[in-house]
Amino acid sequence: MSYPPQSPYGQPGYPPQQGGLPQQGGYPQPGYPPQQGGYPPQPGGYPQQPQQYGGPQAPLPQTAAGGPVVHDVTTLPSNDNVNPYAFSVDLNGQYFLQKGKMVAYYGNIQFHGIGHGPLDALIGRSFHSPLHAADWVVAEGQGKMILADRAFDLNSYDLEDGNLTVRSGNLLAFDPRLSLKQSIIPGFLTLIGTGKFVAASNGPVHFVEPPIRVDPQALVGWADCPSPCHHYDHSYMRGVLGGIRQLTGLGGVSGEEHQFEFIGAGQVLLQSSEKLMADINIGHVPAEAGIPGAGAPSQAGRQQPQQQLPNIPGLGNLGDLGRRFGL
Amino acid sequence: MPFTKLNGKLIEAQVFPGQKVFSQRGAMIAYSGQVTFTPNMMGGQGGVMSMIGRRIANEDTPLMTVEGQGRVMFGHGGHNVHVIDLTGDTLYVEADRLLAFDGTLQQSTMFMGSQGGVMGMVRGQVTGQGLFTTQLTGQGSVAVMAHGGVIELPITPQQPIHVDPQAYVAHRGQVQNKLSSALGWRDMIGRGSGEAFQLELSGHGMVYVQASEEKL
Repeated sequence: MSYPPQSPYGQPGYPPQQGGLPQQGGYPQPGYPPQQGGYPPQPGGYPQQPQQYGGPQAPLPQTAAGGPVVHDVTTLPSNDNVNPYAFSVDLNGQYFLQKGKMVAYYGNIQFHGIGHGPLDALIGRSFHSPLHAADWVVAEGQGKMILADRAFDLNSYDLEDGNLTVRSGNLLAFDPRLSLKQSIIPGFLTLIGTGKFVAASNGPVHFVEPPIRVDPQALVGWADCPSPCHHYDHSYMRGVLGGIRQLTGLGGVSGEEHQFEFIGAGQVLLQSSEKLMADINIGHVPAEAGIPGAGAPSQAGRQQPQQQLPNIPGLGNLGDLGRRFGL
Repeated sequence: MPFTKLNGKLIEAQVFPGQKVFSQRGAMIAYSGQVTFTPNMMGGQGGVMSMIGRRIANEDTPLMTVEGQGRVMFGHGGHNVHVIDLTGDTLYVEADRLLAFDGTLQQSTMFMGSQGGVMGMVRGQVTGQGLFTTQLTGQGSVAVMAHGGVIELPITPQQPIHVDPQAYVAHRGQVQNKLSSALGWRDMIGRGSGEAFQLELSGHGMVYVQASEEKL
């Protein structure tokens, strides 16, 4: 599968802009010589990011004359970014998009809610779960359609017989050749198959390879099934002091006691900020035993674990505290 | 240089055993290797007295100590990040703009009110700096946050620079810092240009300005 224009994390020479940042060089100490007077031209002061479309400082495309590029239906990119924040889809057939993310289009395109007459069949083919299909719109017809979402960075991803799991709020649009399913992990969606999809992120997306631990709020998704699990910095959770710290916040918390840990082959997608994009409703899962996020008890026998804790004499019934303190 | 810019909003720090990095709490995006994040009650370096000083000066941004061995990525709030390398000189910056800095740097709090008397206090109010600011001295790197990209403007004795107080990020070097005002009757009746106050920086050094008037 090919991912957007970033080389995988950890390869030598990774950041393309590294050499071009004059500010990061040594700072001449005596006298602070003026840099060519006036406002320094700063060659590359806005880092050139030849590979990466989506750097927040990536300059908007400009013509040779210096003015903004004026696009028309022929010059609009086809299935590519117009700028870091807008994506142009060359539509010929159908495309799924989140409600309200289309900003402009050329051509003859109709937008319908799913379930509208003949589109009903799409639910079975592409969504596999009728419960969240109502939040999606089908764009149908021919033309070019520009997508954007509140000036968040957009990236497109090509899947070739692959799978990618993404946070529900980040997924913007996808090719109907892909099938969209709810992930077992609540709040995430999995795309399976071959095709293109567009996802938004708060800041450019960064790819890393496991093993890695990531801030839960910075996680956008993962591809090729690395195994996600929770990780706690247990020194905060352990012992009496840890318990007090956890319960009262006394002594301070670093805010990083809890991460998601990824192990295995694949890639993890991170956004450059820990500001989450709001989740969209992805529907409910049936409230059956054994289904995460369904609200049903996982096992009938473990409904009330607190009541099974021994009541330690002399301590009163501290509920879960006893377990936390290792009593 | 322990900080590598991954993109405009994300940096990566290499952490080695015995070398500390301080960062704003909650700013870790991801890490690999064996790294621990310890909340720093003191809000930085120095002893209890430094902590009390920072508390009084309102420069006690919650920091955490990053130790261990591995690579850590930092980013915060979608703000643009700018890496400044210090080679023995001093950077003056507001504590809440600090994303991360080397443990090798000496951190202290500085009273800015002595510069400029009453105007100095007004300046503190207008810039949001207050009367105190954090200074970092030594050899190492600092990652500061800004809203929008960061522009570096050199300051020379011949060429003082006027900066919008809201766009000011940090400065370094031997710099005098005073608020100049162009208040007139128009401002009194609400017909001002909106640029009544400017920060005038003179001396030898460099000022960092963000491409936005939004404070952090």
